[in-house]
Amino acid sequence: MRRADYITSAVRERSLCFMLVENNVCSVEWVMASLVSRRLVPLVISAKTDEALYNRLLDTYKPAYIWQGGELIRTNNAITELHPELSHLLPTSGSTGSQKLVRHCYGNIEAAGLNIATFFGLKETDRPLMVLPLYYTMGMSMLFSHLRVGATVLITNLSMTDAAFWKFMKDARATSFTGVPYSFRILSLMRFFRMDLPDLELLTQGGGKMPRELNIKFAEWCRDHNKRWIATYGQSECTARMAYLPPQWAVEKAGSIGIAVPNGELWLIDENGNRITTPHTEGEMCYRGKNVTMGYAACTADLAKGDERNGSIRTGDLAYFDEDGCYYIAGRKGRFLKLFGMRVGLDECEQIIADNCQTDCACVGTDEKMIVYITDAAKTQAVKDTLAEKTHIVATSFEIRVIDAIPKNETGKKLYSKLDKI
Amino acid sequence: MTNTEKYNDIFAQVFGAKAGELGDNYSKENVPAWDSVHQLNIIALMEETFDLMLDPEDIMACTSYNAGKEILGRNGIEL
Repeated sequence: MRRADYITSAVRERSLCFMLVENNVCSVEWVMASLVSRRLVPLVISAKTDEALYNRLLDTYKPAYIWQGGELIRTNNAITELHPELSHLLPTSGSTGSQKLVRHCYGNIEAAGLNIATFFGLKETDRPLMVLPLYYTMGMSMLFSHLRVGATVLITNLSMTDAAFWKFMKDARATSFTGVPYSFRILSLMRFFRMDLPDLELLTQGGGKMPRELNIKFAEWCRDHNKRWIATYGQSECTARMAYLPPQWAVEKAGSIGIAVPNGELWLIDENGNRITTPHTEGEMCYRGKNVTMGYAACTADLAKGDERNGSIRTGDLAYFDEDGCYYIAGRKGRFLKLFGMRVGLDECEQIIADNCQTDCACVGTDEKMIVYITDAAKTQAVKDTLAEKTHIVATSFEIRVIDAIPKNETGKKLYSKLDKI
Repeated sequence: MTNTEKYNDIFAQVFGAKAGELGDNYSKENVPAWDSVHQLNIIALMEETFDLMLDPEDIMACTSYNAGKEILGRNGIEL
């Protein structure tokens, strides 16, 4: 790879590089070349990252290099220590301005590429259409898995509501499409079911639970049109995919995340940490595999740290399994939602409101909608506007409810469970 | 509410936009947040508010405040 050779000659020491990417060939080339060269360790973020967040990231991590628009620039920052196995970094939650990053190692890329290529049965002649952002874990995992088998990735920055997008999909003869639940809602609204796409062979979904009706609509359509529908489950912390629902169960077990990816293992633990062995018993889902990342970073010094997880992780998701060993997500322990497939931290949203709107607040909700409880009715519109502006998420995703007081315990800790009963 | 107020309210709901910012320059090119999710939400609210069923061509064409008005006009809604 010529670009990797260039990086090796231009960059003498392993260095942190902020890469502000868009969905285009140039961004893919530089990110992959950085990984291959092992000289640049990229933090892959959107070229449209909110300015305030970008400046905070700069202050926190002080990168020696910045790459944007095809140009690599050496900053005035000193080169800091990076763990030898650290391959790249991704934000945990791009929209709420969290500076917490996920630390990936080179072995994660290998493992994710192998596992994903195996269960999708990827081959050299595949032409996947990549609409998911490159800075999103699932987008990046599409590259790792397809490039591994020598497939041609069709990457586009076009919006799915643009006529040119549909022309590209047809003309480039895409064989697979990967999306989050919302992508499939768009496909459905754009009369996808009436389109003639003879080359399309595989549809895959990740990024949160899909509404049941929509899920079944796609699963049945795929079954009736000789295509495969594969729902998947994953987290940034595990280099994307951790589970998949084999296509023969797509309709029958719609809503299930299926079984662990090849070379991975899923299990459940109860409140005491003991393994659950009976079907239909809820517990926290755990995962083991080589795609489990090394840990998080919150400051420059963390980038020198090694593996803190030893290949296993508690997912924070509550699940159960059926008689066939297929897993179903039942809830979540963590304080975040997945809106449009993107993780949105609830505590970070509360911080945004506290910083900008001066009202006591509590954020809860589902993957469909965030419910924001506030105590000052006059701030209703301001809270909605601020959240939409700061997160770039559509304002209709935030429902603002006014209450007299946010329920708290004696130490001032918010009692979120009490909000359901108001 | 007049039809124009209803139409402006759609943008307020989707972008949190103040009605004063709406106009000829309010478009996909000038509003950073305007992506396919926002575009579909505008369409969904237009369908709900004005009791319409819009086509994929309308969804694709709805790339600005003015374009949305034209779509409504084509569907018999005068602002």
